[in-house]
Amino acid sequence: MFDTDILLPDTQEILGAVPVTLGMAFLIFGLSTIVGSIFALIEYRRVPVLRELIMAYKIVFKGVPMVIVIFLAYFGLPPAFQFLFSLLGINFNAHETPNWVILVVAITGCVAAFQSEIIKGALNAFDTGQSDAAHSLGYTGGQLFRRILFPQVALTAIPDLTTSMMVIMKALSLGFAIEVVDIFAQSQLTAALNYYYLEAFVIAVVIYMVIAYIVTQIADRLERALRVRT
Amino acid sequence: MDVSAMIPELLSALPLTLAITFTALIAGFCLALIATTLRVRRVPVISHLVDLYVSYARSVPVVLQLFVAFYGLPLLVALFGSEDFFSPTIAAMVGLSFYHGGYLSEVMRPAYLAVDRGQHDAADSLGYTFRQKITRVVGPQAVHFALPGYGNSIIYLIHNVALVMYIGAADVMATAHLIMERDYNQYQFETYLVLAVIYSLMCLVAWLIVRFFELRSPMQAPEATTTTPIKNELIASV
Repeated sequence: MFDTDILLPDTQEILGAVPVTLGMAFLIFGLSTIVGSIFALIEYRRVPVLRELIMAYKIVFKGVPMVIVIFLAYFGLPPAFQFLFSLLGINFNAHETPNWVILVVAITGCVAAFQSEIIKGALNAFDTGQSDAAHSLGYTGGQLFRRILFPQVALTAIPDLTTSMMVIMKALSLGFAIEVVDIFAQSQLTAALNYYYLEAFVIAVVIYMVIAYIVTQIADRLERALRVRT
Repeated sequence: MDVSAMIPELLSALPLTLAITFTALIAGFCLALIATTLRVRRVPVISHLVDLYVSYARSVPVVLQLFVAFYGLPLLVALFGSEDFFSPTIAAMVGLSFYHGGYLSEVMRPAYLAVDRGQHDAADSLGYTFRQKITRVVGPQAVHFALPGYGNSIIYLIHNVALVMYIGAADVMATAHLIMERDYNQYQFETYLVLAVIYSLMCLVAWLIVRFFELRSPMQAPEATTTTPIKNELIASV
């Protein structure tokens, strides 16, 4: 039956995994935003061949479940790295790549496809009249980006980026299949030691919901603070 | 290792995967209808509970939801004093139904709200009951708004069915693991590639079906509608 005495020690143990999970989530978020922005820019500028390649990439990563991508990365990345390193003449045993690196690469690959879509949407919402105005005022490309394009695009993208942050948090839970310990995996480990399965999972559920609540609150505040009042 | 020997064996587990998918589709749809109705009508306490359920379904990883269903359901049943009849398959069906219902509710509610405010008011002023309003005025229009989001949610459901292996249901993924272990884990990468193709094909079929209905939708969007287009979530839900 449901045992309430075990909740407190279990909670402490599972909370220990929160910083690692958040750290990995932020790392993936940063990387996938960068990759996604590059993809979005290529599509926005309509670069010939690269554009079709990115389309294919997106279709592939939309159709394949993330678990399978993670497993494919787990078995496919080390040999690929090994091959690359040997090609470059670096002596490094890629089969010792830590599992969390593989997980980060796999989830970044998945999420980048979606991030690019989000950023492309934000770019399309950008009013081109403003860039014409900036050009007529003699702004350079860098100035245009820094002073006009970026602030608006970033603001438009905030709600969707929040969702993708939450998706990354959730996707990390698939890491337990390749022995990366996040909140979910920690709750499973804790439960395996004392057999209080349901209790540990309920704690994990609460932790996830609290994190989701905090993240959305922060994003809402940020958006309200940054929006230009007209 | 020839792939051709592996595929029939993998496909033999496909009916179970499909059974779980369809059960979750139908039960999730009913759940989502109920949840959305309660939320848009703002029934005092209940609508808050439903909100909590929706945020549970959306912010907790599906693996964790499956485990909660797997370990929680027997307890729930024991409270009512009946036997524990939950196999992993049934737990997977229930868990995924709850996930899909919560996710879909967040597709339906924006669609309901996206219908032009005037239509709601007109129906109300003509004295339509809530049921009549939904079936005759708002519902048919909301379907049009909801279809793209519904297609996405079906695809994410198919993705997440791949996770039921972790609570012990013998679906395609579990069969693949059996095959790999029988071959002394030599061909893992290849097996997962085959799995990726199988799941992509399932998603493609689902997408084509939804696309068919989208194109047939009688309200082929008059472009200059004043309604704001609702945002479909672009990102996969895990």
